Amino acid sequence: MRVLVTGMGGVIGTRVTQMLEARAEVTEIAGCDFMPPRRRLHRATFKRIDPRDRDRLVGFVTEFAPDAVAHVGVYEPDARMGTREAAASTEACTVNALGAAARAGRLERIVVRSGLEVYGRGRGHPLVPDEWAPLLPTTPYGRLCLDVERLAAGIGRRHDVRFGALRCAVVAGSHAPSPLARYLRLPAVFVPAFADPPFALLDTDDAARAFVQALVRDVDGPYNVVGPGAASPWQAVRRGGRVPIPAAGAGWRVAVRVAEVAGAPVPPHVLELLRRGRVADGGRAVTDLGLPDLRPTQSVLDDLFEWATVTRLEPAGREVVA
Amino acid sequence: MTAANYGLDTDRASTADPLLVALRRRAAGRYAVDEFGGDPHLMDLVAPLFPLPVAVEHGERVPDLGPALLIANRGLGLLEPLAVTRAVRRAAGRRTRVVGAPELPIVGDALRTLGTIGYRPDDVAAMLRAGHLAAAPLGPTWFRGGAGAPPRELFVATLGFPVLPVAVRPGFPQNLPGRPWRVRFGEPLGPPPGTRSGDQLAAAELAEDVGEAVTALLADDA
Repeated sequence: MRVLVTGMGGVIGTRVTQMLEARAEVTEIAGCDFMPPRRRLHRATFKRIDPRDRDRLVGFVTEFAPDAVAHVGVYEPDARMGTREAAASTEACTVNALGAAARAGRLERIVVRSGLEVYGRGRGHPLVPDEWAPLLPTTPYGRLCLDVERLAAGIGRRHDVRFGALRCAVVAGSHAPSPLARYLRLPAVFVPAFADPPFALLDTDDAARAFVQALVRDVDGPYNVVGPGAASPWQAVRRGGRVPIPAAGAGWRVAVRVAEVAGAPVPPHVLELLRRGRVADGGRAVTDLGLPDLRPTQSVLDDLFEWATVTRLEPAGREVVA
Repeated sequence: MTAANYGLDTDRASTADPLLVALRRRAAGRYAVDEFGGDPHLMDLVAPLFPLPVAVEHGERVPDLGPALLIANRGLGLLEPLAVTRAVRRAAGRRTRVVGAPELPIVGDALRTLGTIGYRPDDVAAMLRAGHLAAAPLGPTWFRGGAGAPPRELFVATLGFPVLPVAVRPGFPQNLPGRPWRVRFGEPLGPPPGTRSGDQLAAAELAEDVGEAVTALLADDA
């Protein structure tokens, strides 16, 4: 299997590539992103391409002619780039990479990254949606994820290619760039004054495993991928030893401004998560993707606040020199 | 239960921590939250504050493990779900998630923290898939007297999970002298074997069966 990994430079993309490298049935791996991979890769080919550079991206993908695409290049606003840039890069990457892969003529399957944001959190929406709940996104990132799913599904239908969408909970970890994680790590954190809605998290490695399983198991359709259990803003803030500051109504506008000044911009989908929560029923992914051991949300949350201690090492050979 | 839930089981009721330990635990954020917004630690803490005397009949019919939908008659609306919750806690040592809480700001959020959810059939189905016990009224709310009408749309969404009819008879609240509340559990009911999920006719028949079972339990109790 020849696999193209878009967004290979990100934490998830790099881990997906490492896991694919360990599988015998994957013969060749190629990937691209606007930044280099986070870890060492052994047999994958990486090319640094801005997703908006249509000619280079199309040329690279056409030359590789993949059998399968892991479309990780869906950029969350304020994770590694601003909202507009993330939307433009995601759309360009989806249209150009998937279109070129389909036209190359060997494509059999596509797996795209999506998010639980596609369900929206409007009034009357299900509290814990499964994959067949109505798709009514209420934030720009939710609409972006839904656009990606629709574009990929359209390509899949036109070229008779199987298509899987992984609707991931917030992917978090001590090394993953995430606006929610950055916000929760502030010394004082605004939380809802009169509610404590639940939200789910997903470990970076589990997100990568879901991609690999979806590719090798050749699955079709959408899958909610969420860490078991949930956390809530008040509980998370206390767990991290931060100071909770209750906010309500117009107070959230101030909260968003303050957080932005403090270096943790809060995009609308993160604000919605804090105020209304975001969870989903992930049972289908557990059975169909063979992921019974996903890391629980509380464990991912603990990891978010863990920092490695700096150990002072004595310079080697000091005694010899002396 | 996982180690990451700080020793708390989201399904099985446990003894409340001493006040100081509980406060420390909450200050450190060492408590679990479930996908439905329920806070099991808080549920255990507040349970002793509602000492409703309850007499349980056929408590052995409540499953020790796994999901079940408990369908009870309606009444004044506030104490019936509490009586069912206490009866299940006593019979099987499990928490009950009460269906049909008002979806209002602040009040709804507070009730959800104590283990309730609204009346969306999709959410009740998700709760059962998660392995919880859910207690729903014979109707969209717990209010009004009489057995109530069978909630057919709820049975369509939850078809395949065991259903327990429950009869709740009022007693004297808050330990005043007199009769305790009586909660009687009926035999588990389900659709015929081989029924496909979402089968409207099977759900309608099951709804009728459950409605009749609750009425019969109430008549036996009278």
